[in-house]
Amino acid sequence: MKTYELTAAQKMHYRWIQTYKTQQVSGLSIVASLQADIDFKILKKAIEMEFERYGCLRVQFTKPDKNGDIKQYILPEKINDIPLKDLSDMTMEEADKTMQSWAYHTFDGDDIPMAEFFLMKLPDGYNGFFLHMDHRLIDSCGVVVMTNDIMSLYTHLRFDAPLPAELADYETVLEKDLKKASNEKRFAKDKKFWDDMLDELGEPLYSDIQGPMALDRARKAHNNPTLRCADIELKELFVAVKDYKLDADSANTLFNFCQNHQLSMTNLLLLGMRTYLSKVNNGQQDISIQNFISRRSTHDEWTSGGSRTIMFPCRTVISPDTEFMEAAYLIQNMQNQIYMHSNYDPQYIYDEIRKRYHTPDNTTYESCYLTYQPLPVKMENPYLKDIKMHSKWFANGAATKKMYLTVSHTEDGGMNFSYHYQTVDLNEKDVELFNYYLMKIIFAGVENPALTVGELINIV
Amino acid sequence: MSLQKKFFSIVSQYCAINADELQGSARFREDLDFSSLDFMSFLGEIEDEFDVELEQEQVLQIRTVDEALSMISELQEA
Repeated sequence: MKTYELTAAQKMHYRWIQTYKTQQVSGLSIVASLQADIDFKILKKAIEMEFERYGCLRVQFTKPDKNGDIKQYILPEKINDIPLKDLSDMTMEEADKTMQSWAYHTFDGDDIPMAEFFLMKLPDGYNGFFLHMDHRLIDSCGVVVMTNDIMSLYTHLRFDAPLPAELADYETVLEKDLKKASNEKRFAKDKKFWDDMLDELGEPLYSDIQGPMALDRARKAHNNPTLRCADIELKELFVAVKDYKLDADSANTLFNFCQNHQLSMTNLLLLGMRTYLSKVNNGQQDISIQNFISRRSTHDEWTSGGSRTIMFPCRTVISPDTEFMEAAYLIQNMQNQIYMHSNYDPQYIYDEIRKRYHTPDNTTYESCYLTYQPLPVKMENPYLKDIKMHSKWFANGAATKKMYLTVSHTEDGGMNFSYHYQTVDLNEKDVELFNYYLMKIIFAGVENPALTVGELINIV
Repeated sequence: MSLQKKFFSIVSQYCAINADELQGSARFREDLDFSSLDFMSFLGEIEDEFDVELEQEQVLQIRTVDEALSMISELQEA
């Protein structure tokens, strides 16, 4: 069977597995169910068809070589069964808890399937499927595309609805990605962009969600009073999740502001986050936040599945006398440049930093991570549109990041701010404080974009 | 394949319009629904495919398919 290198996005997950010594950090789980009589035989058939259509579901990994590197290959057909799990005698809360425990399972071993489905009978007449798989095979956009495709196949088989359009071939898109990554000219341009930033700004500086304590602690631990990075947590990876909703009217205020100023929501959120980090870190001007980029632009990239999301540090140096709007455009400009160079493996950025500044192992320059996910997690199928749905993402229970914020849209037109945070360092109060100030900063800036960042920090 | 044909074929991969039906006057953001990420990824691909070097300030002035095509054409001739 033909084997392929991992892409940069897959390597990112693989490195986390190696660093944290558990595949749990790469787990992804969802349940998608409808309050309807589901014909499980047909749903099973639809999922089996999805294994044929969506090649990423059949990806497996080889045994690590002597350097610890692995390769991927695509099985011609799926080999594991799709059993039925009946949780209908529980409450939905109990059922969710049970499924949450499945999300902690790990795929241990080489040359094994990395995706499993269960057909689910849930409480209150909800029926559907649970999916648990490795993040190296799929990301959240891929999951949404797949869920819609499975339900379209189901309605095709059950109600004679039209067969959904073909999905792009995973292997073809993978080959194209790997070819791009091996383009030496492109690599040189990307490397130059990231190296130039270090030439101009020097070594990044850590900023913690709780203020300067973490950096001070690291400086003492490393006996280096000028250290600019902080230690990462390697052992206690347990993660808690806290969600905050933003109502539709308030969300609309933000959407309209973005539209009127030709600003993307990601950049508005990054500005809010970096302003808070600056506020709690004595006005620090040099702030880096990790931002996840979906890297899905073409039709084939959208429908080929796979793990395309990759994170890059958004580093900006913004002085307090910069107006809110100007700061927003500074971030937008930085992000636009990053997008153009997003084919690069971000590990090379950190390799270069380590080479230049002798950064100690297992340290970081970023405490916060952002994903803005405009794609709603719902089944967009006209045959199912008026049916109540129960869907949920389950955290894998092992965070590689201190605080990871996912911002998504809700079905009522609002927004959801979902915080995953390592409980060893953070508690709900820290996250609540962060969200409170994030909202205050963003809305104060939106209301009066002529305010400077320094003024904003003082008034919120 | 002519430069225009190749260029239109790449643009069409980023939007839901066939290369044959693509209008030169179409605006990337407003008409073809390109996000910032789409546009910048597209430009990266254009650089690689046509072996040209795009300046950040220049590319941010591009609004339409024709404008982008002219820029590539000029860069190739230079």
